[in-house]
Amino acid sequence: MEIKYTIQGLFIYLTIAFYLLALIANLLRLRKIAQVLYLLGFITAVASFGYRWYHVRHVPMQNLFEVFLCLGMIYPVSLFCRHILHVGGESADMLIGAVVLFPAGFIFNASPQKLPPALQSWLFTPHVAVYVLSYIFMAKAAFHAVLRLAGSNPRAGENLLPPEEATYRMICVGFPLLTLGLVLGSVWGKRAWGDYWGWDPKELWSLASWLVYVGYLHFRYMFGKKHPRINSIWVIAGIIVIVVTLLWVNLSRFFPGMHNYGAAM
Amino acid sequence: MWSAMALIALLFFLSVCGAFLGAQRAKAFFNSIPLVLYWLAFIVLLIVGIGLFRRLLLVPALLLIHIGCVLILVGALWSSAGGHILRQKIFGIKKIPSGYMKIYEGYSNNQVELADGTKSELPFAVGLKDFRIDHYEPDYLLVQSRRGDAWIMPVEIGAEYFLNTQYGTIKILRAFENFKINIGDENRVAIDDLGPGYKPAIEVRINSPNKPVTTRYVFEDSQGHMHIGDELLLRLQRAISEYTSELKIIRDGKIIVEKDIQVNHPLHYGGYHFYQQDYDHQAGLYTVLEVTSDSGLISVYAGYLMLCIGLCWHFWINKLFRKGTSSLKTASKSE
Ligand code: HEM
Repeated sequence: MEIKYTIQGLFIYLTIAFYLLALIANLLRLRKIAQVLYLLGFITAVASFGYRWYHVRHVPMQNLFEVFLCLGMIYPVSLFCRHILHVGGESADMLIGAVVLFPAGFIFNASPQKLPPALQSWLFTPHVAVYVLSYIFMAKAAFHAVLRLAGSNPRAGENLLPPEEATYRMICVGFPLLTLGLVLGSVWGKRAWGDYWGWDPKELWSLASWLVYVGYLHFRYMFGKKHPRINSIWVIAGIIVIVVTLLWVNLSRFFPGMHNYGAAM
Repeated sequence: MWSAMALIALLFFLSVCGAFLGAQRAKAFFNSIPLVLYWLAFIVLLIVGIGLFRRLLLVPALLLIHIGCVLILVGALWSSAGGHILRQKIFGIKKIPSGYMKIYEGYSNNQVELADGTKSELPFAVGLKDFRIDHYEPDYLLVQSRRGDAWIMPVEIGAEYFLNTQYGTIKILRAFENFKINIGDENRVAIDDLGPGYKPAIEVRINSPNKPVTTRYVFEDSQGHMHIGDELLLRLQRAISEYTSELKIIRDGKIIVEKDIQVNHPLHYGGYHFYQQDYDHQAGLYTVLEVTSDSGLISVYAGYLMLCIGLCWHFWINKLFRKGTSSLKTASKSE
């Protein structure tokens, strides 16, 4: 963990600060102030992405640092969910925005990276970007699942879906993205390593998380909204398996695998 | 539907268990006979499901999704080592599922080494014109003191860098692609050997205050080159940008295809893909290719495409937008 004493770092920390302040304001029901802070956070996130673009002189989507920087601009996702899908949960979005920027600000190396041969593929960026975007929707789904378990409902007049349906809508957006991420990773694996499926622990965990949602979709198809608690628990289990896929596999020494791409040859 | 749920739950459980096994053992496990039976049961259930549930047949997006899954599983079984053996036994089609080829520069070869150590032959030969490794420019010199100070500087011949008042300056004098020491009558002379071999190095001069000027040779892996008296650990850092094997396919003595393959750009010929896998780390004289059969790949890729199109169609177009907005208000009221 390292603090970045750079302009880039400043942009990232400012964005995180705006998002967290917006979250606090939202929780205190200071809606107007929260919206202004959230918008300011978004503007700083765009400035941060633009600065990176200017700095590296190519579209900054080539490594994890840059992809997470891009995902920090989560505000349009909130707008899309609220106004098109009628799904609220901006507080969760503010938190997600701060959480995705955290590794960019404190963990990932920001120096423009030289890509090892295996990562020099047009499939790399869409694979990662689509995956992380799907994770954002799955996280939002889990947030609404928790709201359902807590028995919370949107206030009258907000024209928002109740939590169980909001959860399902988020999965409807996120599941095709999750599948696309898995498929793009597989096609990339075929081009880079010769196998579209290597039975690597990371691949198996991603399959497991995909299967949780396949199970959820079939279960919900069978019973609809009859068992809203079980539906919610299913979605929360999904995000837990995603977190395991994302973090534990990379951090743990239990899983011998090849998803440390730098050492691909 | 419950049986589909049971198979999905079982696969979830097996995937999690497989993750603890490591890739090699997991591969063997998922290719074992009981698991092959499991895959077959999954395929049968999907097909039966499509026959039984009218909606799966009538809603094109759902049909695409489920047929996509069938095609992926069929393709995977077809492309597996077991699938290859079975086809050879039943239809007499002999195809190597996967293996490795080691080819020296200027030579050709049709021998593929299989996982069990035996060799099998391709109906054509693969020749290697040249193998090369490209690096990102520039190389970097990494300097570390025993106290833990660290510096990193680009390798530019003639450039002199100031470290600090204690260690003085370091000047980069020459660069070698294939470093050798010639032991003459009295002197040892460092040369860049034009013959076979690959040992990049640079020559630097360290000029520390109150110490004699010293010349040192710096290598990529410097662990063995720090002497007891040395205060600075020096290392050459070169980032590889690409491995390239210039290949040609030779059939009946004629060159049929020529292609430079790289990590993300394999060669496809005669039902096989040829991948850049490894190389001669000592002298860069040979390349190692991974050879994999392309059987079943079209089915898997067609399945991927159908699955993705079906899912986007079903969830994004049908669920979110076609019925979505109109059902919103009623949905809110129903809770
Ligand atoms: C891994 C394999 C499978 C995947 C990815 C998959 C995927 C899906 C998806 C995404 C849906 C739509 C759910 C919704 O509308 O909310 C669905 C529905 C369905 N699936 Fe599967 N499925 C799989 C296996 C199976 C199997 C083995 C069966 C066999 C019985 C089956 C039977 C059904 C049925 C009957 C529906 C309901 C169709 C409807 O909406 O009317 N699925 N499946």
